[in-house]
Amino acid sequence: MAEWNAYYRNEDDEEEQEEGEQSGEYKVTGRDSLVFLVDASKEMFIKEEDGKPSNFDMTMQVVRSVYTSKITSSYRDLVALVFYGTEQSKNPRNSFKHVYVYHDLDEPGAKRVQEVDELRGSKGAQLAAKTMGSGETSLGDALWCCANLYSDIKLRLSHKRLMIFTCRDDPHEGDSVKDRQGRTKASDLRDTGVIINLMHLMKPGGFDVSLYFRDIITPPEDESDLGLQLEPCAKLEDLQNRVRAKEKKKRVLNRLNLCLGEGINVAVGVYSTAVPARKPPPIKLYRETNEPVRSKTRVFHTQTGSLLLPSELKKAQVYGKKQIVMETDEVDSIKKFEDPGMFLIGFKPMEKLKLHHHVRPAVFLYPEEDDVKGSSCLFSALLKRCSERNMFALCRFTARRNYSPRFVALVPQEEESDEGKGQITPAGFNVIYLPFADDIRTLDAPQLPCASQEQVDKMKQIVTKLRFKYRSDAFENPAIQQHFRNLEALALDMVAPEDIEDLIMPKVDQIDTRLGPLVQEFKDLVYPANYNPETKPAAKRKTADNGGGAEKKPKVELPEDELRAHVQNSTLGKLTVPVLKDACKKFGVRTTGTKKQELIDALIAQLSS
Amino acid sequence: TVWWNQSSALVLCMDVGFSMSNSAPGEEPPFELAKKVIQKFVQRQVFAETKDEMALVLFGTDSTKNPLEQDGQYQNITVHRNLMIPDFELLEEIANQIHPESQQADWLDALVVCMDLLKKQTEGKKYDRLVIVLLTDLCTQASPDELDIIIDNLKTAGITLQFFLPFPAGDDEEGGGDGDRGGSGHPGAGKGLSREQEQGLDMVKHVMLSLDEEDGLDEIYSFRNALEQLCMFKRIERRPTAWPCQLTIGSSLSIRIVGYKAVMDERLKKTWITVDAQTNKRDDVKRETVYCLDDDNETEVQKEDIIQGFRYGSDIVPFSKVDQDQMKYKHDGKCFAVLGFTKQSNIHRHQFIGNQVIKVFAPKDDEHAGVALSALIRALDELNMVAIVRYAYDRRCNPQVGAAFPCIKQHYECLMYIQLPFMEDLSHFTFPSLENKKFVPTEAQLSAVDSLIDSMMLVEKDESGEQKDMLKVHHIPNPAFQRHFQCLHHRAVNPGTPLPPMEPWLKAALERPEVISERCQAPLEEVKRKFPLTAVEKKKQLKTSAQIFGKDTGEPDAKKAKGDEEEEDYNLADIAEGSVTSVRSTAAVIVFIFFCLVVVTPVSFPVCQQLTHRIEQLLSNKNTHYYMKSITCIQAFREQSVKLGKADLYNSYLQSLKRSIPNRGLEVFWDLLVQGMISLFAQGFRIFPPPFSSLEMTCNFYAISAKEEVAAPTTEDTGDVDDLVCDLYFYLTALFWS
Repeated sequence: MAEWNAYYRNEDDEEEQEEGEQSGEYKVTGRDSLVFLVDASKEMFIKEEDGKPSNFDMTMQVVRSVYTSKITSSYRDLVALVFYGTEQSKNPRNSFKHVYVYHDLDEPGAKRVQEVDELRGSKGAQLAAKTMGSGETSLGDALWCCANLYSDIKLRLSHKRLMIFTCRDDPHEGDSVKDRQGRTKASDLRDTGVIINLMHLMKPGGFDVSLYFRDIITPPEDESDLGLQLEPCAKLEDLQNRVRAKEKKKRVLNRLNLCLGEGINVAVGVYSTAVPARKPPPIKLYRETNEPVRSKTRVFHTQTGSLLLPSELKKAQVYGKKQIVMETDEVDSIKKFEDPGMFLIGFKPMEKLKLHHHVRPAVFLYPEEDDVKGSSCLFSALLKRCSERNMFALCRFTARRNYSPRFVALVPQEEESDEGKGQITPAGFNVIYLPFADDIRTLDAPQLPCASQEQVDKMKQIVTKLRFKYRSDAFENPAIQQHFRNLEALALDMVAPEDIEDLIMPKVDQIDTRLGPLVQEFKDLVYPANYNPETKPAAKRKTADNGGGAEKKPKVELPEDELRAHVQNSTLGKLTVPVLKDACKKFGVRTTGTKKQELIDALIAQLSS
Repeated sequence: TVWWNQSSALVLCMDVGFSMSNSAPGEEPPFELAKKVIQKFVQRQVFAETKDEMALVLFGTDSTKNPLEQDGQYQNITVHRNLMIPDFELLEEIANQIHPESQQADWLDALVVCMDLLKKQTEGKKYDRLVIVLLTDLCTQASPDELDIIIDNLKTAGITLQFFLPFPAGDDEEGGGDGDRGGSGHPGAGKGLSREQEQGLDMVKHVMLSLDEEDGLDEIYSFRNALEQLCMFKRIERRPTAWPCQLTIGSSLSIRIVGYKAVMDERLKKTWITVDAQTNKRDDVKRETVYCLDDDNETEVQKEDIIQGFRYGSDIVPFSKVDQDQMKYKHDGKCFAVLGFTKQSNIHRHQFIGNQVIKVFAPKDDEHAGVALSALIRALDELNMVAIVRYAYDRRCNPQVGAAFPCIKQHYECLMYIQLPFMEDLSHFTFPSLENKKFVPTEAQLSAVDSLIDSMMLVEKDESGEQKDMLKVHHIPNPAFQRHFQCLHHRAVNPGTPLPPMEPWLKAALERPEVISERCQAPLEEVKRKFPLTAVEKKKQLKTSAQIFGKDTGEPDAKKAKGDEEEEDYNLADIAEGSVTSVRSTAAVIVFIFFCLVVVTPVSFPVCQQLTHRIEQLLSNKNTHYYMKSITCIQAFREQSVKLGKADLYNSYLQSLKRSIPNRGLEVFWDLLVQGMISLFAQGFRIFPPPFSSLEMTCNFYAISAKEEVAAPTTEDTGDVDDLVCDLYFYLTALFWS
C-alpha cells in the first residue's frame, strides 16, 4: 500500500516535496498585467427583456471570474478595473474627466473581489449609478489614464493587455476631435507594448467594429482579421471564454528545433495546455507581525562546524550495501545525453498510438517563424500530410539541458473554429509522451467469465440513460476551491467560508431516478440472490501463511538478532515500514525521513558499524 | 519467458571445470562467456534491488565444499555463497575469485547440491519461485541413474530449471526472449558436439521436457543469446499493488473491482545524498535552515515563532496547520463512482493528465463481479463510450475526475482509468491560423513531405502481409536509468577511474533504425531543397536603432549585416544617428509631446512629467527595442532642455533614474545609454553646451580627437553602475592616452 501513496502527494507533505520536474514550469521574466476598461454609459445598463443580465452585469461577472482565477492560478499578475463614460471622475492625479479608476493596477486580493461583487446585479447597477454615474465619453482620456496606470508601476511587466468592454461602436458619436485623440492614445499605448483587445457586446442593430474600434485595437497576430470577424458576445459563457482565451499570455515553455535530418531544423515552441493546478505552498510568517520570513540554508561540517563549500561536498548513493560516491558535476554529466531538441525518428499510423501509453500530460507544438524563417511552411506541410494520412511522427525529445531523452508522438491537430466566434482548437501538433519499457508493468489479469449479450444489453440501457456531453472545463477541483474559499473567508473576516459545490460528486439521486428499475433488473441478471457486493469477501486475503513471521504483524517486535540477520543479508527491504520504524526507535536510530529507503539506510548505518 | 519477476530464490550453478577453458582459436572460451552471463545477471539484481535471493555454486573446482560431500561423493563441488540478496561483494567475488579450475564434476551432482541448498535454505520462508540456473558445457559424463528421481524431486519442490550452454540446443534458436532485436548469427552452432555433450544435451532436454512439456526447451539458452538479452539491466522492479474498491453507479449498483497501476512514469527510486568530500561520510555534513526577517539586519527568527500563511492574491492570510486540516476539503475516502457516460470522441487524448494508467479488473475470486464488470466493459465498447468517474485513492488523497475506457483483449477484459483535467488545469490558448497565404505549402512541397513520410514509415507489411513495427519504443528501457546504473556500477567496481562512455547499444537504441536512415536520405535532400529554412540568428539584433527609429527604408541591409555580435553591442553610430533623427522623427510620440508643447512653451513641469512617464513606460518593457526608444526620449529631453537652458529638470531626472537602475535590473539599458552618449561625443555633436558640467565639456573636447576609433566600451561590472559622466571621462581619457 505504501507504494501507491508514494505517488499521491499528501497535501501536508507538499512543501517538503522537491520541485517536480513536470513540464509546467516557466521562467519568470516579469509580471503580466491586465486592465479592464469598461464602458459605463447608460447603454451598458440596459436590461434585456428576457431577464438576461445587462451588458454591464455580464462584464462584472467576467471581471470577477478573472480576479478569482488570477488569485488561484497566478496571483502575481496585476489587474486594474477602469470605467469610462462616467459622470464622476476618479484617477490618480484627477487630470482626466469622466474616467473612474475603480481598481488601479495591483495584485488582486480578497477586498477587490468583494468590491467587484458589489457591482453585480441590480443592486450593483444602483451602486454604479450612485458612485460613478454615466456621462460624457472620451476614449482618448480613458486610454491616457490607463497609460498612466502602466507607467506608475515600477515593476517589470512582461505582458501588458488592455481589454475594452463596450456595446457602443461609435463612442464619440461623430466628434472627430475626440475620435482622433482616441486613436492617437491607442497608438501610444500600442507603441509601449500594450495589447489592446475589444470585447464588444450586443447592441441593437449590430456592432460595427470597422466604424471606429478597428483603429484602436491591436491588429490580430495573423492577417486573417480573426479579431474583426467576431460576432459580438451575447452570452456570458461566450464572453467568459473569449476573455479567458486572451487573458493569459501564451507562454512558451521553451523554443527548440525539430530536426528532420542533417541541417533541416524547424523552429518550434513548446506550450503546455493542461498542467495540474496545485494548491500554492504555504508561506512562513513571523508570529508577532505576520510578515513573511526568508529561509537561509547553511551546510557545515558536523565536527569542525565550519561552513562547507560546494567543492567540499560530493554526492553518493547506496546500492547493495555499498556507498558509491561521485563528484557533483559527474552527477550532472550522467543525466546529459544531448542538447535540447526534437529529433524525427519516423512515422507510424495513428492506430499504433495506444490509448494506455500515457505517462505525462501532453504539450503542444507550434512553429516559431521568428527563429527560423520557413518553419511555419514546413511545419504546416508536415501537419497537413500527417493529418490527411492519419499518421503521427515519432520523435526523440530532450526538453531541457541535462534532461534525458524521451520518445514522443507528434499527433496532428487541425484548426477548428466555432462559426466566427473564435478558435476552438489551434493548428499544431500535440506531443504525447510515450512510455519506456520500465514504465509498463506486467499484470496478471484474472481469468473470469464474460457477460452474456443479454447482460450486456441491459447495461447498455443503463449507460444510455446516463449519457451526458463531457466538457473538459466542466469540473472544478473541489480541494483547491475549498482551500481558496477558506482563505477568502479568513481574509474577509467572514463567519464561515462559502460552500463549494463538489462537481465531481455523483448526483446519486438523479442517477437513481433516471435508472429506475433498470438497476434491479441488471442485478437480477448478473448477481445470484444471496450476493452482496458491498460486503468484503469472506476469505480475507492472507498474503503469508505463517513463515513470513514478524513482518506481517507490526505489533510484534522484531528480535534484535533477526534484525541483524536482515541487515547482514540485506533483506531489510522485506520488512514493512511500521516494523522498520519500530526498529529505528528501538535502536535509537535518528531518522529524518519517512521513506522506506531512508529508514533502511539509517538502520544499516547504525547496525553495521 | 520473463525469468523472474517476483520474489524468488535462485541458485547460479556454474561449471568452472577445465573443459570450460577450451575454445577454438579466436573465440572466447565458454568459461569467460559464462562468467559474463553471471555478472550481468547479478548486476541486474543488485540495481533492481529486488528481494530475490541468490546463491552461487561452482563445480569442477579443485577443492570440495558442500554439505553433501561424504564418502567421496559430490566431489569438486563448492557452495561459494549461500542464499542471500546479491550485492557488490558478490560482483567483486565473481570478478576476482572465480577462475577456471582443473577438475571436472558431474553436472547432475551439482544440480543435486543446488536442490539440497534450496530446500534447506528456503525452509520456513515463502518464495514465489525457486530457480536453478545451470551454466555448463556438458563435457563431463553424467550418470543418468538417478535422473528420474531428480526429476521427481524437482517437480515436488516446484523448482524451475534454466540451462545456459555454449551452443544452441535446437535447430531454431529463436526460443528465448521476444527476439525483437539481435538474435542472429550464433558462432559455435554448427560445431560438432562431442559424444558426452550430445548425451548431456539429450539428458538436459529430457529433464526440461519432463518439467514442462510445452515450453521446457525455451528455457535452454546459449551464452551468447543470453548476453544479448541481458545487456539491459533488469527493469526497476515495481510489483503492482492491488487497490480493491467498488465501482458504483448511483446508490444501489456496485461492482467489486481491483485496480492496478499498469503504466506509470517511473522515476529512480533513490536520490543522491550529500557527503563530505574528504571523508565520504554523510554524517559529517549537516544542513541547517534558519529563518530571518526581510529587514536590513536580517534579524533571525526562532523556529517556534514561525506560523504558516497562504497567499490570497495580494493578501497573505495566516492559516495554521490545525485550522487548515480542520477546514480543508474532506471526502468519504476511497471511491470509483460513475458520474455518467459520454462518447469516447468527447475525450481528447491530449487532455489526459496525471502520470499513470490504472487497469481495473474484477477480483479474481469473484466471478459475479467479473460478469457484472464484463457487462459494463462490453456495453461501453459496443456503444463507443466511456464512463466518467470520480476516483479517490483513499481518504488522504484528493479525488480526481477521470475516464474509464473499455479494454477488451484476447485473454482478458478490463477498464482503463486515466485522469482528466479540472477546469483549473487548462489553459486555452489561441494561435494564429496556419492557413496563412505566406505559409501554405505548394503542391510540390507537399509531395516532398509525402515522399519523406513514405521513406520513414516505421510500420510496414512484410511478405506475409503482417504489419511489422520496426521500433517499439515501449520495449526500449529508459536510457536515463541504464546510464545511471552503468555509471554507478563502474564507480563501485572501479573506484578512482573516470566514468565510462555511454554503451554503444544504448546509443543505437535511441537512433533512427538504420534502414530508415538510409532510405530517407534522398527525400530529406528534396525537402531541404523545397523548403528554404533560414535561421534568424538572434532576432533582436536585427533591430538596429535605424529600424527602431523608422529610418530603415533607404538602406535596408547594411546595418543588419553589422548586427551580428551580441545584442548589447549596439552600433554606436546608429544610436547617434537615431538621436539626431529623433528630433524630426515621425515615430516616437516624444516628438509629438515635445514639438507640440515644449518648443512652443517653455519646459514646464507637467510636460516633463508626461515625458518621464513615457520613458518609465517604455522602460517597463525589458526589451532592447524599448530601451532604444527610451534612449531617444532621454536624448531628446536633454537636447530640448539644453535649448531652453533648463538643465535642472533633466539632471534631476537622470539622477533619480540612475539610482533606480540596480533595483529595476536595468543595467543593460544603462550601458546602452552610456554608449549612446559616448558616441555623441565621438561624432562631435554640439549638443552639450556649457551649462551642463565641466566634466562633460572635457569629454567633448577629447572626443573630437578620438573620432575614428569609436568602439563599444565594455563595462565589466554591470552590477555597480558608475556615474555616467565619470564613465565617459575615464573612457575618453583612456582613448586619449592610447
